[in-house]
Amino acid sequence: MPQYGIYFDQTRCTGCYTCVVACKDWYDLPAGPASFMRVKCIERGTFPDLFAAYLATPCYHCAAPPCVAACPHQAIFKRETDGIVVVDAEKCVGAAQCPKRCLKACPWGAPQFQATLDARMQKCQLCLERLEAGRQPICVEACPMFALEVGPLEELRKKHGDQPQAEGFKYLKRFEPSVTFKPKEPAQP
Amino acid sequence: MAVQNNETEAAASGLTIVNTGCCHDCGGRCVLKAHVRDGRVERLESDTGAAPQIRACARGRAYRQRLYSPERLRQPLRRVGARGEGRFEPISWDAALDEVAANMQRIKAAHGNRAILFLPGAGNQGMLHGPTAPGILLTLFGGYTRYWGIPSYEGAMFASMATYGTIRTGHSRDDLLNSRLIIMWGWNPANTIWDPETSLWLARAKEQGSRIVVIDPRFTDSAATFAHQWIPIRPGTDAAMLLAMAHVIISEKRCDQAFIETHTLGFDAFRDHVLGKDDGQPKTPQWAAAITTVPAQTIADLARAYATQKPAALVAGWGPARTAVGEQYSRCAAVLCAITGNIGIPGGYAGGFMRAYSSRETGHLMKKDPAQRVDKAKGIPSLNPVEDGALPRPDSLYKLSGGTNATSARIHQSKIWDAILRGRAGGYPADLKMAYIVASNCLNQYPNSPKGARALKSLAFVVVHEQFLTATARHADIVLPVNTFMERTDIAPPWLGSPYYIYLNKAVDSLADTKSDLEICRELAPRLGLAPDYFQQSDDQILRTFTRRRPDIPDHDALRRDGVLKIPLPEPIVAFKEQIAEPAKHPFATLSGKIEIACSHIAEMNNPRIPSVPKYLSHPEHYDAPLAQRYPLQLLTAHSKIRTHSTLERVPWLQELESQGAWIHPADAAARGIRDGEAIEIFNDRGRIRTTAQVTERIMPGVVNVFQGAWYTPDESGVDLGGCANTLTLDEPSPGGAFPMNSALVEVAPAAQAAAEKK
Repeated sequence: MPQYGIYFDQTRCTGCYTCVVACKDWYDLPAGPASFMRVKCIERGTFPDLFAAYLATPCYHCAAPPCVAACPHQAIFKRETDGIVVVDAEKCVGAAQCPKRCLKACPWGAPQFQATLDARMQKCQLCLERLEAGRQPICVEACPMFALEVGPLEELRKKHGDQPQAEGFKYLKRFEPSVTFKPKEPAQP
Repeated sequence: MAVQNNETEAAASGLTIVNTGCCHDCGGRCVLKAHVRDGRVERLESDTGAAPQIRACARGRAYRQRLYSPERLRQPLRRVGARGEGRFEPISWDAALDEVAANMQRIKAAHGNRAILFLPGAGNQGMLHGPTAPGILLTLFGGYTRYWGIPSYEGAMFASMATYGTIRTGHSRDDLLNSRLIIMWGWNPANTIWDPETSLWLARAKEQGSRIVVIDPRFTDSAATFAHQWIPIRPGTDAAMLLAMAHVIISEKRCDQAFIETHTLGFDAFRDHVLGKDDGQPKTPQWAAAITTVPAQTIADLARAYATQKPAALVAGWGPARTAVGEQYSRCAAVLCAITGNIGIPGGYAGGFMRAYSSRETGHLMKKDPAQRVDKAKGIPSLNPVEDGALPRPDSLYKLSGGTNATSARIHQSKIWDAILRGRAGGYPADLKMAYIVASNCLNQYPNSPKGARALKSLAFVVVHEQFLTATARHADIVLPVNTFMERTDIAPPWLGSPYYIYLNKAVDSLADTKSDLEICRELAPRLGLAPDYFQQSDDQILRTFTRRRPDIPDHDALRRDGVLKIPLPEPIVAFKEQIAEPAKHPFATLSGKIEIACSHIAEMNNPRIPSVPKYLSHPEHYDAPLAQRYPLQLLTAHSKIRTHSTLERVPWLQELESQGAWIHPADAAARGIRDGEAIEIFNDRGRIRTTAQVTERIMPGVVNVFQGAWYTPDESGVDLGGCANTLTLDEPSPGGAFPMNSALVEVAPAAQAAAEKK
């Protein structure tokens, strides 16, 4: 089975959050804690020697996803066809009834719960309906910098190289997140 | 839910995809596709069509939360409390329009049309809706008093006209690939867009080897993303650094002498000033280092790079020109472009106003009959009877064609509040009695909001067309609720001017009891006894009169159907290509036909605050002014990436993205006992705002940034709890008309301490 993954060109990201809002609009998520795509700002240095980068953080659809193993109700699973990690809202028992081990298990914060007590876990499912319809995910089509791409990971690696490191991202071998980057490097004057 | 592949499939599921576009006053104008089902917009997409895609940013993508905001105005309102108190009662459209008409008739009869102040704003950027129809209505009614000057760019525009005689000084963005060096001076398109795709072209230019330098008091997103080198500079001192760069270029004989001799006028006077022959002060990098805080070596290195790594693009942003003598910076930048010969060539750039493609105005499309040319010195004709025949302002560039209207009948926008309060006795052209305000949150966006509140409270009558109960609308007697671009048909030209147009097809019916500005005028016209001719046309009929005049829109119906028309360019637009290639055949549009390094039109003003050759000048709210003893911090009022001026405030999806707290350097915060995230007050003699501190290395010491556009919300003691930057700004334009939004001195204190001191 091909494992689908994400390419992120960190050198292009201006931190505009278009991907975040496009996703919230597409899935009609209210303002609040649940966001399938997050953008993290990384800042270093002291004035005037500064560095800043942004990291787009969806779900990285790990080859060995810790959230799947952690869920006490087997609500999270990995699709055989494309390796996309999805959640079954019927099986998820909701925030108040569950120790929410998926939250603690994922080092990148992909599982999301809205603020209500009965909130079921939700997450980035790589816009699989869009992929099935031959479209890219909404974040990819939204990015004004064309910094995101989604597809079979091997193809992405062939096209963009296999670079598992980026500013603000810690690659964990045991989970094998399905991502490759063009990382941002500090400016060389 | 399944994704719709095509329109047929979409229609089968009851979904319609409507081609429209985002249309507020940002640097964009982007494609939006509204997914509509059962009369509601349920999702948005942006451009998924052919390249170049005009992709909307977070602001556009968040639009559903503005469209369906519970805070949208839904009915006409009549004031019941004191003006500005914000207490209203809903009334019918008939009652509201009757009351507006009666007040207009009454004030016209008692005080004349001159007493009617029209404040059109930029809140809607369509060709049809927004202030267009109300302006026509007020003209038919006998005229009105209005303003001149636009906060965004007036200093840059003045400099552009004085130096080049035109505002079309820009290159299309694809030309950035031809620049070996790009200097982004006070220019932050990552947040301000500056026409869609600008950031994308900057990234591409960097990827193919262009070197990029950013000069800005803040480590902006543009600096973080694009810059090989960031040079922080003390606000308001940009002209000093530019003069020092000129000093290096001139004294090291790195000027493009042939270019100077062929294409410019007044270089000798400029050289004498730079070398200190006129005032005894050579403008050396050491001189500028003390003023700007930029090390002399950094200035000299950049000067050499700019003069030798041709072609180089010096893009002089508008922010540094929003200062007390802003035109000096813009003029200095343009002169540097000229003396290095970086004008009229691919990869170069001329500075100035920087419009590349005229999609916004049609004046240049009409053949002018030289016999019809009027001598503006004897009076400027106007369709507005109140202005018609008025003499030009002596401080205007009235002999030139284009740029800002030079009529003396207008009041500078930053002085509107003063004019309301003081009238003719204060030297203004009218005693103003009522304000007709459309698509403008002027109380928030003109400088000195506290004075603005006093002024609006003093008027006899205020009517506001609005979508939300803004600070301005709270000061109305009648608020007329207006629909949004999702609820009407319009055409959006790009912001500054890129080669495309967007047709905004109406996506859904108007919310509740809202109407378009044009519909309001249709119903107001008969109440004022005006001929209904214009207002009887349908929206699409009026739009056709716009498109007919534009040869670059060959097919109105195709534009309407496709929603967007992208005009292919055979090659990148390069400003002044003809003037440089064939100077004898193509003079510049200045009085001399040359690039005016020394401007004779300015010389006639005979004002040391606006010299004919650009200079570095101080002013009463500069870092070295006596007032800095009391208010030692310089205020910047930059544009936020989660608002468009004051529009899109109160949109939860945007508000949650990042803190809107004031940026302050850790050293300045520590000296005042301020911790990150803490409530603070920022104040000067004009006002006081409460906000939170965002303690960050990304701003230089001595400078505080408050993102402009937050909603002015004074409490009973006058402290602005909304954190509106203009509560603190100065309402005094530069001699060239620049707005001093980035020239205010302030002090900052923890809110708890400030409250204790007041007691």
